[in-house]
Amino acid sequence: MAGFFNKLKGAGNGISKVDSNASLKNKKEEPVQELTPLEKLLQNAGPVREDGSDKFFGLENFGNTCYCNSIIQALYYSEPFREHVVKYPFLPAPDSLDGQQKKVHVTIRPPIQPNGTATVPGKGQKPTTSAQALKQRQVVNGQVVTGGQPMRPEDKPDSPEYKKKQSMIRGPVLELAQENPDAYGMEECTFTGLKDIFTALIESNTRTGVLSPQRFLDIFKRDNELFRNSMHQDAHEFYGLVLNDVIANVEANAKRIQEKDESTSNGHVTQATKITLGASGGITSQAVSGRTPGTGWVHDIFEGVLVSETRCLTCETASQRDETFLDLSIDLEEHSSVTSCLQNFSAEEMLCERNKFHCDHCGGLQEAEKRMKIKKLPKVLALHLKRFKYTEDYSRLQKLFHRVVYPYHLRMFNTTDDAVDPDRMYELYAVVIHIGSNAYHGHYVAVIKTKDRGWLLFDDEMVEPVDKHFVRNFFGDRPGQACAYVLFYQEVEFDAVREEMDAEGPEEVRLANLKADTSLVSEQVNGSATVPLSKLNTQPLQPVEEDHDPMPSLSHAQTAPGDIASTVPLPMSPTLPDHSETHPMVAAPPPAPAVITNVDEAATIPPKSKDEKSRDKKEQKAQEKARKAAEKEQAQLAEKQRLDKQTKIREAQKSEQEQLQKALQESRRIAAEEEKQRKREMGDTPSGVSEGGEKSFGFLNRASRGSKSMTRKSFAFLNKVGDKGDKAANGDKGSDKSDKSEKGESSSVSAADGPGSSSHPPQQQQNGGGSHSPTTQISQETPEKHDKPLKERFSFGLGRKKSTKFRS
Amino acid sequence: MFVLPPPPRYPTAAAYNAAVGSGQVAPMIETNNILSSPSGPEYQFLVGEGLYVLKEDLHLATPPPHPSEAPVVNPNPLATTPQPATAGSKLTLVTLDVRPLPPAFYKISSRSSGLQQSIQEHPDESQSSTEPRESSSDGGRMNSSDVPLLSPNVPAFGEGNILLAPPTSKDANKRRKPKNNMTKSNSSFISRVILNEGLNKRLQDRPNDGLFAFANINRAFQWLDLSSPTKAEYLTKILFTKAHCLCHDVNWITKSSSHIDIIMGFSTGEIIWWEPISQRYTRLNKNGAINGTPVSEIRWIPGSEHLFMAAHMDGSLVVYDKEKEDAIFSAEEEAAAGGGVPQQTNGESVNDGSTTGSNSNHSCRMQVNKSVHSKNQKTNPVAVWKLSNQRINAFAFSPDHRHLAVVSEDGSLRMIDYLKEEFLDLFYSYYGGLICVCWSPDGKYVLTGGQDDLISIWCPSESALIARCQGHHSWVTSVAFDPWRCDDKNYRFGSVGEDRRICLWDFSVGMLHRPKAASVHHHQRGSSVSSRLASMQRADSGESADKEKILPHPVEPRSRTAMLPPVLSKTIDEDPLCWIDFTQDAILTSCKSGHIRTWSRPSDVSPQGGEDGDSR
Repeated sequence: MAGFFNKLKGAGNGISKVDSNASLKNKKEEPVQELTPLEKLLQNAGPVREDGSDKFFGLENFGNTCYCNSIIQALYYSEPFREHVVKYPFLPAPDSLDGQQKKVHVTIRPPIQPNGTATVPGKGQKPTTSAQALKQRQVVNGQVVTGGQPMRPEDKPDSPEYKKKQSMIRGPVLELAQENPDAYGMEECTFTGLKDIFTALIESNTRTGVLSPQRFLDIFKRDNELFRNSMHQDAHEFYGLVLNDVIANVEANAKRIQEKDESTSNGHVTQATKITLGASGGITSQAVSGRTPGTGWVHDIFEGVLVSETRCLTCETASQRDETFLDLSIDLEEHSSVTSCLQNFSAEEMLCERNKFHCDHCGGLQEAEKRMKIKKLPKVLALHLKRFKYTEDYSRLQKLFHRVVYPYHLRMFNTTDDAVDPDRMYELYAVVIHIGSNAYHGHYVAVIKTKDRGWLLFDDEMVEPVDKHFVRNFFGDRPGQACAYVLFYQEVEFDAVREEMDAEGPEEVRLANLKADTSLVSEQVNGSATVPLSKLNTQPLQPVEEDHDPMPSLSHAQTAPGDIASTVPLPMSPTLPDHSETHPMVAAPPPAPAVITNVDEAATIPPKSKDEKSRDKKEQKAQEKARKAAEKEQAQLAEKQRLDKQTKIREAQKSEQEQLQKALQESRRIAAEEEKQRKREMGDTPSGVSEGGEKSFGFLNRASRGSKSMTRKSFAFLNKVGDKGDKAANGDKGSDKSDKSEKGESSSVSAADGPGSSSHPPQQQQNGGGSHSPTTQISQETPEKHDKPLKERFSFGLGRKKSTKFRS
Repeated sequence: MFVLPPPPRYPTAAAYNAAVGSGQVAPMIETNNILSSPSGPEYQFLVGEGLYVLKEDLHLATPPPHPSEAPVVNPNPLATTPQPATAGSKLTLVTLDVRPLPPAFYKISSRSSGLQQSIQEHPDESQSSTEPRESSSDGGRMNSSDVPLLSPNVPAFGEGNILLAPPTSKDANKRRKPKNNMTKSNSSFISRVILNEGLNKRLQDRPNDGLFAFANINRAFQWLDLSSPTKAEYLTKILFTKAHCLCHDVNWITKSSSHIDIIMGFSTGEIIWWEPISQRYTRLNKNGAINGTPVSEIRWIPGSEHLFMAAHMDGSLVVYDKEKEDAIFSAEEEAAAGGGVPQQTNGESVNDGSTTGSNSNHSCRMQVNKSVHSKNQKTNPVAVWKLSNQRINAFAFSPDHRHLAVVSEDGSLRMIDYLKEEFLDLFYSYYGGLICVCWSPDGKYVLTGGQDDLISIWCPSESALIARCQGHHSWVTSVAFDPWRCDDKNYRFGSVGEDRRICLWDFSVGMLHRPKAASVHHHQRGSSVSSRLASMQRADSGESADKEKILPHPVEPRSRTAMLPPVLSKTIDEDPLCWIDFTQDAILTSCKSGHIRTWSRPSDVSPQGGEDGDSR
């Protein structure tokens, strides 16, 4: 796979930015290509803005990297974050660096030819990994590969796959094959990778296109062991790790500069440092003391402070402890709202039985009441809806399809009395959506509110404008298994909200009209004389045949249901037998839900209006009996189809399951190998801190670094969670830096957490077992990571799983 | 090892489960309503006054899709095709009988002059109740449009415009019927009408005080007799081709044993006036001629036989006359400029984000696109007011028939003097859209429920937020007062929400616990507005207030607002609830999938004894 990309890379490297213009011209010369909805949206947009808020790029999927793509998009459209990332290492020396800084090593990949072959790399149509992703996606969508000569999903117009492919064809495809950390005076790291992506987008001279974040992923995977495979990953976890990485990277850089300055200029802080420290330090007015300067902006945007108050029921002593958070993981309840889930988060909790609280005052484990409130609200509030729940029955993560409604705006009820601006208003600006039946596979997309282009759907390479109401399709109760997974709210002024609502009026009116129209159109559809069942409108009709012209090589196009519709737009019945002949596997007639894809408005309206007249005639003739018969027939037909479909889905899922198993075994094998290799290399890894077993592994290292970068308390908490788990599993052998820092805290505090992290014996047993044999780790680790029946709400309790996993 | 994925969820989960359970596909054939009376602890709830018990559960059958509308199950969950508007089952209850008023009204109407400060009381309002409309009092339903507090001094809507005068009625008992016969209709809009075989006999045999219910479910609309033991058998069922009926209302002035005027608002924007006894109907706003957006709420204008108001989803309120023809509507400039309506277009300019120039509505204004006083009243619409561009979710007329409370998706609560076509006040929810609104029986308070999971109690006369009620776990979809448990100081109201819960609340102003600062009386803006509001009521011209721009009230911080806990909160259904109302004997609720549940009031307490139960 890597080899393949290297090939692409090599091909791309030779081509300079000039080519982007060339490809643009090409695009203009081809009248075949219609404007995509996004391009229509962007017509007549003024000059390209400097801040990058009007760049709408898809991100290439390298096979199961949608978790990364959706999160990067959500981060990019957080204005404060984007600005800070772009600005961050503020390098004042313009002579040497300004020019360099501007230059991100962007290469433009030659556009893929419409017939599906890339010009230079030859046979590579689409990376194999993408094909795999497509397949997966297909199953997720309930589409079934129909055997024989299946129509590839990307050939079907209006399918997401088709649109993605079109995005790639249109280009320009920006490749970030190389990092340029030197320009920032930093080492290559997650932060520089992210910065490169942002900078490349901002500096692009087109508004749309596709960016290939390959290098960023490489670096991220380098630093994060868990993601070093091609499996489906958890987007929320990725989000947390990226933020932690960014914090760590930035902080390391600040420290490095400081040290350098101290050593070179003999204690005189140079201008550069001052600015580096000052630029970000200035923003952090409420910065918690003890934080290394220079990293303030990340904390300032994402970090909030929770107060955990524990009251011992024996002596009535209340103890308080502050904890920072970068997001809130909230438990879900069926038929609830995000507001309510947040309230539950802060609901009082009894610490009793195995969960008892160690009270300093009366000394010993006591029953206690604990509740958590928010003391400082973050600017960007990320809410992680815990949709993946470990179930003992299946010993795997189940996805909860609870209906959880989320409003466009939000205020937090669970603030402390002394919180600053407790009535702060938030607006929803991004939703990361998980599509799929469980945690192990599926697809992530993001729906993001952009500055002045409304809501957009980011589905890997594809970017598509959607209306505001689309955002509400992911409460979890609709078919299709798409549920909101991470909600991003950003602070907003109430007046701004009102103004925006006034401004979006015309759009709302249009939507309201649309809502009526969809019903109106069908209102006139009432059967027609020529088409007895008038299933016509359910058929995915093709808008233009031209769309197929660029793909003459598709030999199977003739028999594909989609194409039949385009060539034979009218009655379905004659094509029915024909169809089943050519497609023995297709038992269901074309209108079967399985083959219907995204029925585009534009596509369906013309035939409908055509039929209206005839339908009206039919309307007069139609007798009740005929209708009843039709209804019955319809019912039987539909039942048949449904059963067919069900069995097919089952089969597909079975086979997918098998594939998954294979993949799992494979990855286990790889993991084991890697583990061995790492052990071998461990001795000469320079970055490894000499600390017991976990030296070469990211997290605890980073955590100990992080304990400086974040407030000490916050990280102490995180580490603790991990350490407790470790102790239970490994016989309390881990006593590293972070553990010490924890002991620095009041002991009541550690006790408050102790029970929390040790309250789940089965889980620990698992961890313990897992730590013995590396082969079982991966499979067992995954369920564990989401399994938080204990009220452990911190998304950053990552320490535990990592440390337990790799300590052996 | 292999685990089945969760079943695809259908809008009617229960129906789906039933079908799957019996090894069938989701229902594709017409089914019947099912009446059941489950019992058990989960079907009852205890409040201070006693135990409410589920009397029966009437499950309305969800109709299968129209044959021409084979279900398009788009497997792509990211499909961007717009979804047609729909709504869960809501009921309109009506009884043909003249029933005694609920106690709250007795108290008010027997009082001499205790309510001078409340907005609905005109200073020189007399308490005489000799007006004929008293006879239209209701027993079944407590919606605000039919409250007998009406004073003869309150002018009727559109009074003074001679053109609006109803055609001289020859005989009060002989009401005009709609034009078209529904059962013989060949309209493409109506798919099928099914009449109960014994309709006439059943209508004759039923007790006169029995409760009729009109209910929408999916594309069906049912007329039910709730007093019948065989209430599962509808009296009439109308199946529309595709359009969903989203809202409906019965005219309380014209109802009689031979005539009931029902209006229905549809997802297509169209409106149907239906007279169920003669099975005749008229279509209005046909093909969206006047307004092409779905109708989210529809109500007869209190006291009017002909006029009703519809809230369209583009943020306009349109008054229709049931008997007038449609005419293509464009805003009447002179209406916007003249009359008693302040010149609004020159006001505060909208920020550059807006593109429509003079047509754009700042949320602080109400644009009268056609006044009720317009000279052009030959055709519909009678009046058109554009409040904003945001979807209106609900509105309610005040019991004194002067004011209108309108709630929208943008979270606003607007108070309007609909007689004068004046915009009075603008409030905002804590956050998120507002979904439902109702007036207290005495007209002193307005309740709103919305996407902040809260019910907010507003006092229009003081222009202030009184309290927020926290108890729901999701969005609040319906609120209603229980007039049988309200008196002049204490109020009982109920609410239902997406969380499938019912909450009951006891509220009395004196008992409110206000955190830290009392928000009501120290609220400066509130007092100024209230004086303005009062002056508007008294002044004949209303000129003094004309130039004043309506400023929205800032959202009250939590620290200054009283929080009211519920006296009861209980999950009572499997699906999100969407409607609640009170009758003398019961609480009625309905849910998205069509379960109408009747919760009998505690049997040992007399329904008139409204006071003793309030102590809790």
